[in-house]
Amino acid sequence: MKKLLYFLVGILTIIVLLGFTANRMKAADGVKTANNSLTIFNWGEYIDPALITKFQKETGYKVNYMTFDSNEAMYSKVKQGGTSYDIVVPSDYMIEKMAQEGLLMKLDHTKIKGLEDDDPKLLNPAFDQGNHYSVPYFWGTLGIVYNAKIVKNPPKTWNDIWSPTYKNSILLTDSVRDVMAMVLSKHGYSLNTTNRAELDTAYQNLLKLTPNVKAILGDEIMNYMINNETPLAVVYSGQAAEMTAENENLHYVIPERTNIWYDNLAIPKSAKNVKAAYAFINFMQKPQNAAQNAEWVGYSTPNTKGKALLPKSIREDKSFYPTESVIKDDEAYKNLTPYWTGVYNDLYLEFKMNK
Amino acid sequence: MKKNTLGKAYLTFVLILLYAPIFYLIFYAFNAGGDMSKFTGFTLENFQTLFADSRLILIVVQTFFLAFLSSLLATVIGTIGAIYLVKLKGRKKETLLGLNNVLIVSPDVVIGASFLILFTLIGMQLGFLSVLLSHIAFSIPIVVLMVMPLYQEMDKSLIDAANDLGATPAQTMREIILPYLTPGIIAGFFMAFTYSLDDFAVTFFVTGNDFTTISVEIYSRARAGISLEINALSALVFLFSIFLVIGYYYIMRDSDTVGKSSTLT
Repeated sequence: MKKLLYFLVGILTIIVLLGFTANRMKAADGVKTANNSLTIFNWGEYIDPALITKFQKETGYKVNYMTFDSNEAMYSKVKQGGTSYDIVVPSDYMIEKMAQEGLLMKLDHTKIKGLEDDDPKLLNPAFDQGNHYSVPYFWGTLGIVYNAKIVKNPPKTWNDIWSPTYKNSILLTDSVRDVMAMVLSKHGYSLNTTNRAELDTAYQNLLKLTPNVKAILGDEIMNYMINNETPLAVVYSGQAAEMTAENENLHYVIPERTNIWYDNLAIPKSAKNVKAAYAFINFMQKPQNAAQNAEWVGYSTPNTKGKALLPKSIREDKSFYPTESVIKDDEAYKNLTPYWTGVYNDLYLEFKMNK
Repeated sequence: MKKNTLGKAYLTFVLILLYAPIFYLIFYAFNAGGDMSKFTGFTLENFQTLFADSRLILIVVQTFFLAFLSSLLATVIGTIGAIYLVKLKGRKKETLLGLNNVLIVSPDVVIGASFLILFTLIGMQLGFLSVLLSHIAFSIPIVVLMVMPLYQEMDKSLIDAANDLGATPAQTMREIILPYLTPGIIAGFFMAFTYSLDDFAVTFFVTGNDFTTISVEIYSRARAGISLEINALSALVFLFSIFLVIGYYYIMRDSDTVGKSSTLT
């Protein structure tokens, strides 16, 4: 009995100590009440932590910062309830889906300052005409990363990667919409097409890419590319930015008519502190903060004035801040109906099984 | 003899297989290169960034707080449950034991989703309390399974003897049953502790506004590529688990000798 008692007392002491430490650390952040706290639900590693500190100092709001790893995870958390996030950061098609289902608050544009600083070509996107529900946070494209050491004639268009010279040398990101976008775009179809004939043609052509595909992977692509192990990969510009920073042989190409993606700030209907949410949006819209964030995260900022504050090497990198003519035909993903989502998934799955 | 060396070689192979990934991870915690592709030089920088990241440290403290608290409560509840279960007879016992085992084999995703639905149904705000409750819940069956066999094995004449000598039920419990069950209880606690520490699936569903654990945080960093800071953290947690195991053996060895001497005297 004594042993057990000692053991219990020991564990209790540890619990009290840990509880005390946690409380002290939270108190150092400032005491949070319903009126002064702001809960942000963002992707992991998607904001410069120094900006959160700065925001707390400037506005007096205390930030609860939570993270998620996919749009779907974030969506189910918000939809299921039991939580009250004040700011969420969904991507394009998810904004449309959440807005349709009434999960997002309609933004009052009179309360938002600095929207005019954003690149006009990035405002009014197809998934949220008039930016009623979202303010752009980061953006980028889907493209091809190649290793100049291995690839002598770098691809310029989607069509190029079908060339037999790239036999067994392409890594694809395991994502339905992105793989389909690649081939739909090659044929000149819309990336959001709901035309069965177009989809079938695209699928037949996708099968012809099989000999060139080395693997369909997730985040491991970055390591393979950085280690000079594979000549080509189809990735997002955000991932490409990280790879090219690690390995100077790697270059990013934006093919014609590719996907343009956005991650956006939005306020869920279940938000508790809407005032703080607007304060945060306005804070992130300030050019200086947008620039600092873009430099830390490494993705492209939509904020034109913020972009001007970035170092020349980043600002003038055409891969990550392409001119308007390069991306004028690019399309953002729209939310597909469950039926068409099923069709896309089936075609993609068949392609994967054929691989 | 030949059989012996073969056995040893096999064991070595299995151990290498089990530990290689962990040591690989820890090795790169000291890499100056910034990622796990190439070892370019020794540095403690990753540990410095880890300790400077107050948000991550807070999450670590919260995770351990949760693990200790939930497994302690689960141990108390589970031990009482195990003692009660042994006393039961026939169908009722079979049923309850069966239900207990179902919870152990049911997938975490199912448990997590059910808890999420339950909590939102009763209108509970997700946060520390919801995570704590679900961790206690999935730990209880483990504790029951660790404690119950020991009690079943126990020589019941010890209890009879205590009764004959005039001990009250409370005394029997305190002086005979609990000391006998101590190794099982402590083993149950540590099992529950490990489960709570590395659970992702259940925790992911029930975390809310102001509480998160290491596993959920690490998972959400996948999109941007996990930094070596996490390797440094894993190295520390691994070291901590080794201390826990050493502590566990120390307690066990002691309680064994105490158990023996008390049965002799």
